Amino acid sequence: MSFPEPLQKLIDEFSRFPGIGPKTAQRLSFFLLSRPREEAAALARAILEAKDKLFFCSLCGCLTEKDPCRYCSDPRRDQKLFCVVQEPRDVLRLEQTGHYHGLYHVLHGALSPLDGLGPEELRLPQLLQRLVEKEAEELIVATNPNVEGDATAAYIASLVKPLNIKVTRIAFGLPVGGDLEYADDLTLSRALEGRREM
Amino acid sequence: MYLASLCLINFRNYVRQEISFNPGINIISGGNAQGKTSLLEAIYCLATSRSFRTLREGEMVRLGCDYFYLQGAFVLREGRFLAEVGYRQPRQLQIKLNGKLHARSVYLQKHPVVIFSPDDLSLIKEGPSVRRRFLDLEASRLRPLYYSRLRDYYRALRQRNQILKEHRGGPLPHHSLIEPWEQAMAKAGSWIVRERLQLLEDLERLAQGHFARLTGGAEEFSLVYHSSIDLGGGRDLDLMESSFKEQLSQGRAAELRKGATLVGPHLDDFFFLINGLDVRRFGSQGQQRSAVLALKMGEADLFNRTGEEKAILLLDDVFSEFDETRRRHLFQFLSEREDQAFITTAVPLPDFKSYRTEGAAFYTVQGGKIKIG
Ligand SMILES: [Zn+2]
Repeated sequence: MSFPEPLQKLIDEFSRFPGIGPKTAQRLSFFLLSRPREEAAALARAILEAKDKLFFCSLCGCLTEKDPCRYCSDPRRDQKLFCVVQEPRDVLRLEQTGHYHGLYHVLHGALSPLDGLGPEELRLPQLLQRLVEKEAEELIVATNPNVEGDATAAYIASLVKPLNIKVTRIAFGLPVGGDLEYADDLTLSRALEGRREM
Repeated sequence: MYLASLCLINFRNYVRQEISFNPGINIISGGNAQGKTSLLEAIYCLATSRSFRTLREGEMVRLGCDYFYLQGAFVLREGRFLAEVGYRQPRQLQIKLNGKLHARSVYLQKHPVVIFSPDDLSLIKEGPSVRRRFLDLEASRLRPLYYSRLRDYYRALRQRNQILKEHRGGPLPHHSLIEPWEQAMAKAGSWIVRERLQLLEDLERLAQGHFARLTGGAEEFSLVYHSSIDLGGGRDLDLMESSFKEQLSQGRAAELRKGATLVGPHLDDFFFLINGLDVRRFGSQGQQRSAVLALKMGEADLFNRTGEEKAILLLDDVFSEFDETRRRHLFQFLSEREDQAFITTAVPLPDFKSYRTEGAAFYTVQGGKIKIG
């Protein structure tokens, strides 16, 4: 079975998305083709606009339209409190709880030698530099509650503690192996409040 | 729990078969390679989402087909439920309970089946990995958390081994790089060892009673866990954890040369002892069979004690291997219980006659087809 070339190309593009298998990619493609041209154009524009206008904040690494981002440039936020997370989307999750008012730092991953991810591949030197510059008092480690997230937290604690900064780990009542992304607001707020010193 | 009916499609040598079963004893006779063991495998697979014969799901697909499908109607205390297991190459096994997709880890623990098979002897005869797999499977079924802790442990172990491999032949990596993984290993690993110790102790106690009955009480039976971690005789989780962690950090230099971790529950083992002697090395064939049978009976008892549901017992052609004493004891064991049992046999045994009067159901398997009677 072979599709016309432009269709196959579209299916291939969709197949690259996380969680999208060939079957779903086909469904998405056929759906898109069944819709009016304006809808396809609007989607294409939205993709390019997001891609062109959004980038990673040079300080915290979150997704932003301006540099530094709105969190890093907001003087009302607690400048002595930092929270380190794995992914840009985790920043949005924590913001949605309305319970955190400090600064962020996004690692863009977690330690995993098996995936070739060591300290150099994460934004750890930047973190240390920011903590020192801001004379931070506390760092909350909110990496995911799984083996890699916990190991990353332990590694960060070993780096930061000698700087006389309090290091706390978010207290997860989350399902084992769960991602921050899937925690509901209440669980996440409680996890923030119940953080423990490492 | 019992299995009320079963449907097999393209499973081993079954093309398509639907059959109902007796809540008590089901006796299935037939020649070799006709599909008796495959029938038990199908039941086991529905209850545990695993095979007891292979680790490769593809092997269960009928030759020349690209999928198999199993459906079983189980009756539990809380009502009936429908289990479905499907597999299509090269995808993963799919499990549905009452029409809803389930993850294997969730499914694993809930539905007790115990298989008795001539291969059980491999528990004594083969290497430590067979015995670890036995313990891990039992512990996961009895305690859901075990499975996820075990996965965490192996994940952390592989990460640490990766670091050892990357630095192999060179100087030690900075301790801050390797310590987080050792911490994770020690935390999950010590918990795993404690659970295994507890499980083995429970199994030993239950198996001892059966062993005494099998052998007339003349010999003493015990199960002993051997850990590569220095436990110091205790079971205090914190002590075990710090002891394991210490051993890991002490071992770094030697392990760096090997490129692998040389201590931990992934290397542990347990032994069957009769009168204090290792049955594997010093036991007769008969003693080995009795030891394994006692362990399996203890396993069935354990499920009846800890689980909400009674176990389903699968006995794969075990009677022909046993002498009169063991056979009699196994029959007595079955008749004292209310569990559903599936017994396969290649030859009609005289003992089976008594079951007819107690309302056992009889089936014949030939060439991948099951007939009643
Ligand atoms: Zn920022």
